[in-house]
Amino acid sequence: MSDLNIEGLRKSYGNAETLKGIDLSLEHGEFLVLLGPSGCGKSTLLNCIAGLLEPTAGDIRIGGRSVLGVHPKDRNIAMVFQSYALYPNLDVARNIGFGLEMRGVPADERARAVARAAETLQITSLLKRRPSELSGGQRQRVAIGRALVRDPAIFLFDEPLSNLDAKLRSEMRLELKRLHEMLGATIIYVTHDQIEAMTLATRIAVMREGRIDQLADPETIYRDPANLYVAGFVGSPAMNIFDAHVVAGQHGPAAALDADGSTVALDPGLHRNGTPGTAVHLGVRPEAVRLAVPGEPSSVTAKVEVIELTGPEKLVTATVGDVRFTARLDPNSRVAKGETRQFVFDPRAIRLFDRATGNALTAG
Amino acid sequence: MERRPLLQTILVYAAAVILAVVIIVPFAWLAIMSISSAADLSSRPLNWLPQTFDFSRYGKLLTVASNSAGQAFLASLRNSLVVAGMATIVALIVAVPSAWAVSRHKQVGWSIYLAIATYMLPAVALSVPLYKGLAALGLLNNVFGLAAVYLTILAPFTAWLLKSGFDAVPREIESAAMIDGARLDQILRRLTLPLAAPAVATAALFALLLAWDEFFYALLFTSDQRAKTLTVAIADLAGGRIADYGLIATAGVLAALPPVIIGIVMQRALVAGLTQGGVKG
Repeated sequence: MSDLNIEGLRKSYGNAETLKGIDLSLEHGEFLVLLGPSGCGKSTLLNCIAGLLEPTAGDIRIGGRSVLGVHPKDRNIAMVFQSYALYPNLDVARNIGFGLEMRGVPADERARAVARAAETLQITSLLKRRPSELSGGQRQRVAIGRALVRDPAIFLFDEPLSNLDAKLRSEMRLELKRLHEMLGATIIYVTHDQIEAMTLATRIAVMREGRIDQLADPETIYRDPANLYVAGFVGSPAMNIFDAHVVAGQHGPAAALDADGSTVALDPGLHRNGTPGTAVHLGVRPEAVRLAVPGEPSSVTAKVEVIELTGPEKLVTATVGDVRFTARLDPNSRVAKGETRQFVFDPRAIRLFDRATGNALTAG
Repeated sequence: MERRPLLQTILVYAAAVILAVVIIVPFAWLAIMSISSAADLSSRPLNWLPQTFDFSRYGKLLTVASNSAGQAFLASLRNSLVVAGMATIVALIVAVPSAWAVSRHKQVGWSIYLAIATYMLPAVALSVPLYKGLAALGLLNNVFGLAAVYLTILAPFTAWLLKSGFDAVPREIESAAMIDGARLDQILRRLTLPLAAPAVATAALFALLLAWDEFFYALLFTSDQRAKTLTVAIADLAGGRIADYGLIATAGVLAALPPVIIGIVMQRALVAGLTQGGVKG
């Protein structure tokens, strides 16, 4: 049985529709990340699940039971807020135990549960402190502890790491992954950070303007984005996009870039459906672009504009015609600014999107 | 600390001293008057500092002998405490839920401005309807009647102060508590009110002072020791054929004491509440 089922969920404020029909189903132990820019409705969706907002239409079932009209406390969920929302006037132990206290759990049992949660999160030494005496990372742990101690059917996280600095964020990310694996908990996690989404999720729902554009595991989202929007949103630097036309090449299917007419080879297995003449957007990730060896066929000639050495890699920005693209190269690559060089796109990594709809052309 | 030019420092201190003097001098003069002899008070040129200290007026006002000035004064002191205390407590009871509702539900926000708008009316405009209303209810010259009138002044005022206090408490804390299973009254009692304690204390203190210092309605709606409040009693002291300025000053000092004591106590409680646990662990 699924832990969560959402069917046809809509939420409107006056005339503005924030959620335009969400369908979602979550198995036990899944870590679902709702990914999207601010205003895409991901927090609204989370708040509807939590019961802090009532949907306008549709159904939400938790553990098979419809929770429409059910008070948040009776939904068997726990939520971690972006601002942590700790109770500043209570110490850490009472913060964590508050939910149990409100549910009338006896004091000794409560103390044991709090101690267990604190141990899991390694905050036992902080139990007597007040939230104001904690660092951001410690507050985050307390907020997670407050959710943990309740042992809910579903954990809801609303951008929990966005108030932390970069180093702490990656530490807590690891911590969350460890917790998820340890507890086998079902988690829904809202973020606009694609790294968090990629690293934490078992499945990602990429959202845009109140709809889910693609719902899949991180690898699929990255490798086979359903449309141009997902392709552009996930991945940093973003996927390179060229306007192109499918042509009949000498050795199988190929695409001609509109920018300068140069042709790139396509993988026949992946692009059976691209009939010659079709106008497409051709997408290729920066790591699938490499420098050509001299005389290599189906290469693209481009002028190198910017070179950024990040340490483990060299990001090269080049232009073909007036289209700019990025290549993620080995840091030892010999390439200089202002040069004109030949680049090759890995045919297996090239994705085609319909020019009119932006949807991916499927292989089938 | 940041560095400041000497002149600026001097000016800042001078401004502070002037402010302090302006605030302190009237009260200091009141206190001096209360212990100056009648001769010192009526001599010309004025003796700013008394030749002898005369504490007899304090004794005079703090006796319970029947028909004495002391009896009238103590009765009015009791009336003031009862009226201001009742009005403040009921005002808080009324204002906390309404301020919370207005703070959390913006769509009813207009109501608080409507309540505040009643402040625009001068007190004298309401005096006749209020008088007639109290008369009809048989509540003229009655501490409950006067407290009820004060409640109409205090409730909007405290609600308005409390609303800004509640606005400062993040909604997410209440959402979290809601998910944690707390009922609305538990959320208010355990979280929102303690977190808004400074605003609650400020509202209570100002409400108390407002009621304590009120003169106009008290003068109109009370007539004898059963309900007369301090402000009216002090005015009575000045209303006789021979006004003893020293006695009026003494009454003024004594009248100022209860709110000052309450203020100090509340401030202590407030500071304790805010730093509790701050030094532990």
